[in-house]
Parts: sequence; structure tokens; C-alpha cells
Amino acid sequence: MQNLTELVKLAEVAVNDAVDINQLDAVRTHYLGKKGQLTEFLKHLKHLTPEERPQAGKAVNEAKQLLLDLLTTREAVLQSQVLKRRLASEAVDVTLPGRGQHQGGLHPVTRCRERIEAIFTSAGFEIEEGPEIETDYFNFEALNIPPHHPARATHDTFYFPDGHLLRTHTSPVQIRVMQNKKPPLRMITPGRVYRCDSSPRHSPMFHQVEGLVVDKGITFADLKGTIHHFMQHFFEADLKMRFRASYFPFTEPSAEGDVQCVLCLGKGCRLCSHTGWIEVIGCGMVHPNVLKQVGVDNEEYTGFAFGAGIDRLTMLRYGIDDLRIMFDNDLRFLEQF
Amino acid sequence: MKLSEKWLRKWVNPPETIEKIADQLTMAGLEVEAIEPVGDDTCVELSVTPNRGDCLSIAGVAREVGVLNRMPVHTPLIEAQPVKIKDTFPVNITDRQACPHYVGRIIKQINPVAVTPEWMLQCLAQSGIKCVSPVVDVTNYVLLELGQPMHAFDLSKLHEQLVVRKAKKGETLTLLNEQIVALEEDTLLIADKKGPLAIAGVMGGIDSAVTNTTTDIFLESAYFNPLDIVGKMRRYGIQTDSAYRFERGVDPELQVMAIERATALLLDIVGGEAGPLVECTDITFLPTRPAIYLRRERIKAVLGLQFADSEVEDILVRLGMRLQGCAEGWFVTVPSRRFDVALEVDVIEELARIHGYHHIPSHSPLVPLTLKPHTEHQMGLPRVRATLVDRGYREAITYSFIDANLQKLLFPEFSALTLLNPISSEMSDMRLSLWPGLITALKYNQNRQQQRIRLFETGLCFKQVGLDIVQEMRLGGIVAGTAYPEQWGVKQASIDFFDAKNDVEALLQLLNKKYRSSFVAAEHPALHPGQSAQIQCDDKILGWLGKLHPAIAQALELEGNIYLFEFDLAALLPVEAAKYAGLSKFPFIRRDLAIVVKQQVTADMLKQRINNVAGELLKQVYLFDVYAGKGIPDGHKSMAVGLIFQHYDRTLVEQEITVLIDNIIKHLSEEFGAELRN
Repeated sequence: MQNLTELVKLAEVAVNDAVDINQLDAVRTHYLGKKGQLTEFLKHLKHLTPEERPQAGKAVNEAKQLLLDLLTTREAVLQSQVLKRRLASEAVDVTLPGRGQHQGGLHPVTRCRERIEAIFTSAGFEIEEGPEIETDYFNFEALNIPPHHPARATHDTFYFPDGHLLRTHTSPVQIRVMQNKKPPLRMITPGRVYRCDSSPRHSPMFHQVEGLVVDKGITFADLKGTIHHFMQHFFEADLKMRFRASYFPFTEPSAEGDVQCVLCLGKGCRLCSHTGWIEVIGCGMVHPNVLKQVGVDNEEYTGFAFGAGIDRLTMLRYGIDDLRIMFDNDLRFLEQF
Repeated sequence: MKLSEKWLRKWVNPPETIEKIADQLTMAGLEVEAIEPVGDDTCVELSVTPNRGDCLSIAGVAREVGVLNRMPVHTPLIEAQPVKIKDTFPVNITDRQACPHYVGRIIKQINPVAVTPEWMLQCLAQSGIKCVSPVVDVTNYVLLELGQPMHAFDLSKLHEQLVVRKAKKGETLTLLNEQIVALEEDTLLIADKKGPLAIAGVMGGIDSAVTNTTTDIFLESAYFNPLDIVGKMRRYGIQTDSAYRFERGVDPELQVMAIERATALLLDIVGGEAGPLVECTDITFLPTRPAIYLRRERIKAVLGLQFADSEVEDILVRLGMRLQGCAEGWFVTVPSRRFDVALEVDVIEELARIHGYHHIPSHSPLVPLTLKPHTEHQMGLPRVRATLVDRGYREAITYSFIDANLQKLLFPEFSALTLLNPISSEMSDMRLSLWPGLITALKYNQNRQQQRIRLFETGLCFKQVGLDIVQEMRLGGIVAGTAYPEQWGVKQASIDFFDAKNDVEALLQLLNKKYRSSFVAAEHPALHPGQSAQIQCDDKILGWLGKLHPAIAQALELEGNIYLFEFDLAALLPVEAAKYAGLSKFPFIRRDLAIVVKQQVTADMLKQRINNVAGELLKQVYLFDVYAGKGIPDGHKSMAVGLIFQHYDRTLVEQEITVLIDNIIKHLSEEFGAELRN
């Protein structure tokens, strides 16, 4: 029995001296394996008398259990040490940049256009598009602008040799739609438009979004309400609006809509030329001549139409001060959005 | 149009500041653009819309101010002037439709060296009109004051009679500004027996102009049909205050009053004796003023605001309209000066703008609530853009008209649509493709220290096909620089064909087209012949991908390897709906083969052959390595493929696979002379 106690003591030391799992396994094998030291003790039990056997057997089993417990404990300790070392070695500098491709971005005009489309589709408006090379009929005549009309002077037009032109607004799309679809209608027609204007604050190509609602019972009050909400949602601000009388050949009554200056909120600043207001939209009730052209009975249906420059709204929204910079596509510009 | 505040207040003088008056006018449709103090006066600059010809004068603006402030307007006293002589000059109106009302008179014995009084010069100066000579200054003054353009001829230069007619072929005229114009046959002229004297309503001729030796004049005050004047300024390249007003419609009832006013001022300033008025009128061609039927319920239907009858009558009467009540509303007779009020809705606009648009409420229209379709068969463009954005692209918007030379360089076989009046010679052609604009944007950025450029654009491209103009929506992209942005832990490498192809494949995958598409080597004049592919899907051409031809890159002084792609969106965006094909419960078997073939054998050739031969059990083929070099014969390469086999209903057995593999190898050997790599 004394040998057993000493053996256990030696085993204990061996277990505690094991520095890794391999060594511990070696200790396990040495003492508890097929030819292990403690296992030998179990084999010797058969040389004992039947009276001595039970007590001896009990002692050996107890020793075995003790060793097993020690091994388990030590294994846990060693494993925890292994884990700790591994964790330490896997630590990284989390402040280093991530690997791979960087995000790009949409052009700010597209961002605004998509937002405008979302605002209107939420109210059931369709988004309609059409050709950019147009005929005189769809761009002018159908919109109550006959040849040589003084209003054509404000639409300096690009022409092709065969008489086609680059559309000066997106209203032609509305005429095309109305030729095929009957009221009730509500649509917006965003897109590129072209005007032959070389003055510094203008670009020969820009973007417009025009809208049209034709239904029974549509009034100027509906026009005011719709546009005011549009501007409030677009600018995400409770901006005041005012509508002043104006003139377009294709609407009557016509109006220009001003929004409270987004920069000074009406107090007066450089952006609004100290008036407190910024002109953002032209609108009006659709002219009877326009509806007649597309076969809509003006007694049954009335409508309103509006048009705004998407680039202008984009510049106001993001504080961009130069229109032409938008089409240079300088990455330092694009990356700001 | 500029006018003097002092002059305006002589006509109407409300107890308001000029700023307040300006605000009233702006809100009512006459936009005041600037108010500038000038000496002891103020210059008010108005922007008058094309429909308000009646406001192109002090009288017109004063009327508006009077209406808006409920104040009377003081018109100067204009009486018929004493007729001291009997002289008249015959006037013959040949084209009465163009000139239905013509008034003229002779004034003889004027003092040619008289001086225009200071007060008149001030008024003219405030309105930006230069002082010329007393006779001309008076005509300009009355134009500004009343809105009637007039012209004075040197009577001694007129022969036999004045004729108002259209020009004849080949006629010319030297204008006041010394410009010699070839007259077109649709141009209305004032002429005499000898020939053209003036372009009617636009500008007089130099030969018959009043000079500092003129003693006798013929004064003209006429109404010309706007349709005969419109477009003439542009046609002859001149701008005059006279034509500007005739285009927009001068009051056909103003001519006599205006000529008497001018006569009075002339007699006062240059003296002389006036002859009787010569007046030619053809009522049939004067603009008609039928009464407009205004229905009270229509006012509410259009504006969304109810007006009391008394409010309607008050506003319209203040505007100078005559009303006759009837059951449903009124018959409204409009003053002759208001060319813009011809329809019921025009009268309604008058009510709204005078009452004030701010009084009209703000509503949301009431419409039936219907749900809208949302198709899965067509991908929206925003989602496609988002895919490229997520892959590091920035969106560009480039001009639709581009440099013809650049376009010729990229697409020598195509002729583009060319503008007649481009804004500049570098923007004269409509783009056939998005590549010219993207290349221009690339160059712009490379010139500004940018080395890594990834841009895309969507938009229309234009071409002529026979007699038709075809306008196609496209998506294009350009990439240059390193495949990945500069960063630690990633080896910097220039972008190559396959980096660009990965982005293109991502788009195809988004549209469920990746596995039905193929990249077919094809030549394109803009692309490197060895790195150029046409993208095809289901017998349609979707687009192109390739490297910009190095010769072109060099010619354009661009740096590095540049890759381009472009899609026809009409072909790209339709999507085949997803359909579930089931899942096998049984494990798959993978076998890898390294196959050595000649360099000309493409990945597609190999894959297609393997698919054809292997049959239904082969589910996937992965090409995971391409190797040429040590251990591989010259002119050959090794392509390593992973083959995945699976049966839907049972576990496959090794022997089955081995048979298939052997068959595949046999066929590859026959077709391509392929061998397994050792």
C-alpha cells in the first residue's frame, strides 16, 4: 500500500509538471495505460488473499480515480493556457483599414432624381420617359407654342438638318403619353433637356422633372397643395412657399413657385439675392388647347402641370454653387456624395 | 423693360414705397427684377412675359398698379391737334390682313436743329434709350409712354404714295443701322413708288430717315398683325423696341391717340404745322373681340375657390372689362389691348392673379386608391446602378453631344447625327455610345492626379438607321488603375480584363443571365483586338467588353490599361423569373482534372465539350486554374477543372463516375488532342 501512496505522489508531481497536452498524455499512459504503473497494481491484486483483495482493490481504485481527476484538472488548465496563447497570437490592430474594394456612389443629380421619383410614386404617380431627339410638333406645337411664338425665344433650341430638335423640356413625353392613355392620369417625366444657352450660369444640357395630373375635379388648389408638399418632402424642411402669377403657353392660370430660401430661411442672403425666396418651379392648370390636341374633354377633365430643374434642386439641396461642375465628373466632386 | 419711378408716379401714385409696389406687380405677374436708385429717381426693371404686350409702356404698368391699389390712373390730356395745313400723303394698303389700321400725317416746317427737352431725355435715359434727334426722341417717348411704336419719314424722300405691301423677290433695303438686307417675300414693307422704305413695324431705312436737315416729315402710327412681325427680328438679325411690341400685339385702337400725342409734343418741341390725319382701316382684318362667356361655377372648378359675384365684377371692371350678367355668369368684353385674354380660362386667371394666388387654398387631390403593379420580369435601373456602386463605381453624367473627332476615332464606320447649331465645335455630334463621354471624363480625372478611375453612366445614345433616328438606353463603364484601391495587405496590380469581366458578370448574375451568357471574342475598332468580347445571351447581343485600343489610348494621351464595357439596356433588363428546381438529398462527388491543350483552345470550348459529353449527372464545372510554363509543352497550357457529379435520387457509385470521366477524357483527346497533365 505504501508503494501505492508513493506512486500516487509521483504521479501527482508528473501531472503538475506536464507542460503540454502531449506530455500529459504521456503521463496518463505511463500510469494508467495498458502497461501503466497503476495498472500493474491492479494486476497484482490476484496475488492477494481473498480477504486482502477487497481492501486493496478499493485502495487502487481510489488511487486511480484520484489520478484521473488530477489529469482532468490539469488538462483543463493546459487547454485554457493553449487557448489563451492562441487568442493572444491572433490579436490584430483593429484600426488598420479593411481589405478589398471601396464603395462608389451615385451622381448627386441621380440621387435627387430618385428621391423625387420616390416621393411621387408614393402617391401613385407613374414615371414616364421619352425620346430626347424630338419633333417640333411634340416639343412646341402640341404645347400651344405655334411657330415664331415669342415664347420660343426662351427655349433656344438645338436643331438637326432634317428639322428634328433636341427637346427643350420633358413636356413632349406627357403629350406622347396622353395620346395613348386617357384620364385619370398622374405622371412625372424626368429626364435630360437641352437649350442652346452659353451664359455662365447655364448649361446646354440639364435635367428637368415635369409632372401632370389630369382628372375630374382637379383645381389650382390641388396644384398648390401637391407642389408645396413635394418641396417640403424634398428639402425635408417645413419651408413656406409662395405662388406668383406668370405665363407659360401650355398652362392657364400659370404660376412660378418660390420656396423660402433654404440657406437663410427667408431672412435674406446672397443665395436668394436678399429677397428671402428662391424660384424653384413653374406650374399651372393645363391649357385647354393642350387638352384639345390630345382629345381630352376639358369640360369633364381639368389638370395641372409643373416643371422644375433637377440640377437646380440638387444644387440647393447639397449646397453646390456651380452648375457646370456637375458634368465635369471630377472624382473629387463625385466622391463628396 | 426699364422705367423711371418718377414718371410712373405721374400716372399713378399709390401711398406705398416703390418696393411694395414692385412686390405687388411681381406677385400679379409682372416680375420686377431690380430696383436701382439713379440720381433723385429710381429705375425699375421689369421682366414682362410674352403675353402681356399691353404692359410694355408706362400706361400699361400704371394701369396694373392702379388696379392692384384701387387707384385711378392720370392719363395726360391728349386732344386732336390743330390742323394748320391741308397737305396729305396718299397711303395704299395692299396687304390689309397684315395692316388693318394705318394712321399717318404730314408735319411741315419743323425746326431741324431744335433740341430735345431735358425732361424727355431723362425719361428716355431711365429706360435705356439713347437720345437721337427730337423727332426720333418723340417717337421713342410715345412708344414708352403709350406703347405705340411710330416711325417718322423725311417727306422729301417719299415718292408719290406710301404702299404697305409684302416684299418682292430680289428687293433690298439699307436699314437705319446701315445694314443692307435682302428682303424675303413674306416680309411686310412700307414702300413708295421707287421701292422699299422700311421693314414695317421693325426698322426704317436710312435713305428716308429724318436728319438734321429735314424740314417736313410724315408720321406713321399703325397696327400690324403680330403674325406678320413675329420672327422678323431674328430673321434679319436685329432687335428693336418697335418689333418687340408689334410681335406681342399693340392695341389696335391706340393709333389715333398716339399720333395726336406725338403731334402735340412735336409741335411743342420742333414747331411746324400739322396736316390732317390719313386713316386706313379694314374692319374685317382687325382683331375681333367676341364677348367671353364666363360661368361662375367654372371659376370654382378651375381655381378651387369660390368668388362672390360682387368680387368677380369688382375685379373685372377695375381691369377695364365690360360685363353683361346672365343666368350662369357673365358675358365679358375685353379691352382691345388685352391680346392675352381670349378664353374663359384667361378671365379666370385675371380673377385669380388680381385677387391674389395666396388666397387660393392648398389641397391634396382626392383620388381612388389603387395598388400598382411591381414586376419581377424587368429589373429597375436603380438596382443595376446600385450593383455598380457597390463594386466601387462612381456615376458620371456626361454630355449627350460630343467631339466629332473623338467619336470618329472610336467608331470610324458610323456616321453620327450632327447638330446644325452646336454650342461649340467640340460638342457637335450626338453620341453613338457612352464611351466618348466616359473617356473624356477619364482624361479629365487623369489630368488631375487621379490614378484609379471607375465610372459608369446610363443614358440615351443616338444613331441614324435608314430614315429613322434610333435612341437607345445604354449602360456604360470605364475602369483604369489598380484592381483594388491602394491598401496594406493587398499586392497592387493593374486592373486587367478579368477584373472588369467580374463586374460585368455581377450585372449578368443580377439579371439571372450569367449562366446563359457567353463572351465571344470579336473585333471592335475601339478595342484591343486580343482583349475584346461581345456579350451574347439567348441569341441577343447584350453589349461589349474590352480593353481600349492602345493606339487610341496613346493618341488621346491616356495612361495605363483602360477597360470599357457597354450594355444595351433594352436587351439587358428583362429578367426570367426564378423557378425552384428541387434539392437532392444525396451527396455529390467531385473529381478534378488537369487537362493540357493547345493555347487556342478556350475555356468555353473545353467546358462545352465536357458538358456535352458528360450527360445529366454532371452538375457543375469549375475552372480553377490555368497554367503555362515549366512542365508544360510550348504553345500549350494546362486547365484544371473541378467536376461535380450528383444524382437526384441516389448516392452515386465510384465506378459510374470513373466511366464518365474516362469518356470525357476520350472525347477531349479526340476533339482537342488533349492530355491529362502528369
